[in-house]
Amino acid sequence: METAVDIIFSGLSMGAIYALVALGFVLIFKSTGILNFAQGELCMIGAYICYYFATELEVPYLLAILAAIALSCIVGALIDLLIFRKLVGEPVHATILVTVGLASILVSLAGLLWGHDPHSIKSPFIGKTFTVSGMIFSQALVVTIGVSIVLFFLFILFFKRSLLGIALMGTAEDSDTAGLMGINVKKMRMLAWVLGAFVASVAGIFLAEQSFVHTGMSHIGIKAMAAAILGGMQSIGGVVVGGVLVGLIESLAATYLTGLALGGFHFGDIKDVTAFVIMILVLMIRPHGIFGIKEVKRV
Amino acid sequence: MYRKFKVSYKEDMALLQNRWQKSWLAVLVLALIIIPLFLGRYQLSILNEISIVLIGALGLNLLIGYTGQLSLAHGAFVAIGAYASGLLTAKLGMPFLISLPLSGLIAAALGLIIGIPSLRLKGLYLALGTLAFGFIIEYIIQHWDLTQGDLGMAVKHITIGPWTVKSQLQYFYFLTSFACLSVLVTNNFVRSKIGRSFIAIRDRDTAAEAMGIPIAKYKIIAFSLSAFYAGMAGCLTAHYSRWIVPGSFGISLTISAIAVIIVGGLGTVLGTVLGAILITGIPHVIVYIVDMLQDSYPALSGLMAEIKLGIFGLVIIGTLLVEPKGLVGIYQRIKVYWKTWPFKY
Repeated sequence: METAVDIIFSGLSMGAIYALVALGFVLIFKSTGILNFAQGELCMIGAYICYYFATELEVPYLLAILAAIALSCIVGALIDLLIFRKLVGEPVHATILVTVGLASILVSLAGLLWGHDPHSIKSPFIGKTFTVSGMIFSQALVVTIGVSIVLFFLFILFFKRSLLGIALMGTAEDSDTAGLMGINVKKMRMLAWVLGAFVASVAGIFLAEQSFVHTGMSHIGIKAMAAAILGGMQSIGGVVVGGVLVGLIESLAATYLTGLALGGFHFGDIKDVTAFVIMILVLMIRPHGIFGIKEVKRV
Repeated sequence: MYRKFKVSYKEDMALLQNRWQKSWLAVLVLALIIIPLFLGRYQLSILNEISIVLIGALGLNLLIGYTGQLSLAHGAFVAIGAYASGLLTAKLGMPFLISLPLSGLIAAALGLIIGIPSLRLKGLYLALGTLAFGFIIEYIIQHWDLTQGDLGMAVKHITIGPWTVKSQLQYFYFLTSFACLSVLVTNNFVRSKIGRSFIAIRDRDTAAEAMGIPIAKYKIIAFSLSAFYAGMAGCLTAHYSRWIVPGSFGISLTISAIAVIIVGGLGTVLGTVLGAILITGIPHVIVYIVDMLQDSYPALSGLMAEIKLGIFGLVIIGTLLVEPKGLVGIYQRIKVYWKTWPFKY
């Protein structure tokens, strides 16, 4: 039975995942100027590593998650070290294409190591529910939303209170000036990639808990861009709002539009494109997003 | 080597600057006419694939390489062209010679639709907007009864008047001459006023506008022109493969088309030709190598898709890290080296 609460709840948990992916995406974009098309693939890699430890090696679940996050961070650092450090100052299309190439390498690696078939993660939260005043909630969804909220608070604290976070924000604002002020810009770029991979792996693990681990899950990266665009690519708050909105709208559209037909046109699987429709609408009406500030270019 | 000073603008603008180029072109044309007669069906099919990819990539190069507008909707326009021509010839019984330009025009009209919002968007935002457009088009094709979704749609052979193009060899002559025509048209086009305006917009749009180039007009022209090429490439794909499914026009097609123009060299027609040959050739080379190794490593053939994808990614990253100007850059370096040999400069 699909009640309004269920719909909103699953929309919220999906929105939390979108917001996490979009956060990594915005972090990397702001600090390095790279539109990372491999963000979804980083999620996928995180989920696969978690699956490998939890299901194939049967390590305790929490340890498996920690290992997946740690390894994902290393992958992020390596990506910066081996590829993007050498591409600083290259034009936009070159860096975008490199991330696209990176995405295909990551998918092919995952395919070579684990095959095409979807795997399921042995998570202690899957299939368990609890009841609050007559309404049944799935534990996996609650954990997703709860952990995401905690993570967002930690990130806001990190960027507002810690020296490292402020240095990262400064690099994102203006990397040349940041360099002159004594901030190690190279390190900051690497940190952005590490943090981006970190949130991506967390999102990937949550996503895998809701369905399966498979190479197609990298699709979330592109959908999360819609969240980032909607929020405005500027602040953590914007990203969260964007992600939650995209998740909610998607969940509502999937419930109310599926099965409709309009003169030979069927609205099945509308979930796949809702995010893109939102993206196009935002770009046409308010390209800098809800919370973004319009960029003014000087000649 | 034969050299002379140019004394008129006409000589400077000539496509073929000297006798060497003319004679090499003649050799190439002769080779294209004679060599296919000795090739098998498989080799011919690779060449045909290259021709189709080349036509689409030329249009994309006009948009990305010459005008500097990053578009990720190429696959969508190819799909529109393919389905337009498939529907026009099957449902309305239209002859191929009319449906070919018409499918290009339909794609161009839709290109106009994304061209207009693109006036407000730049760089990354434009890339994302066109990407979203591509996914929406794919979704529409999948869910519309007219296009039959994942079931796919059968398309007829190419018929021109009383002749039907059927065998790979006939397709080779048809597609190659069409590809050569496209190369010639593009080469002339980029030297025209419109082409030079494209380059001005790419290099610095604000300055171009100050010099009196209406940016809006030329950006829209670039979008619809690129869509026109892509639509025709789609039409040719449809009639050549005779079976179209929405999955074959997805984001992967866009990515490989962008790989063609970047690996070849952005903003050069020669680069697009070289890139089309390389990018289309790579998967076949991989298939060949895997087939050879099959006896010693039988597990390899099951992993073909992953190997292809991985090597594809490596080629793209490698090119951009080592030689950002692409194959044309390598070609020019070699040319300069031999021209000045044994001196370094």
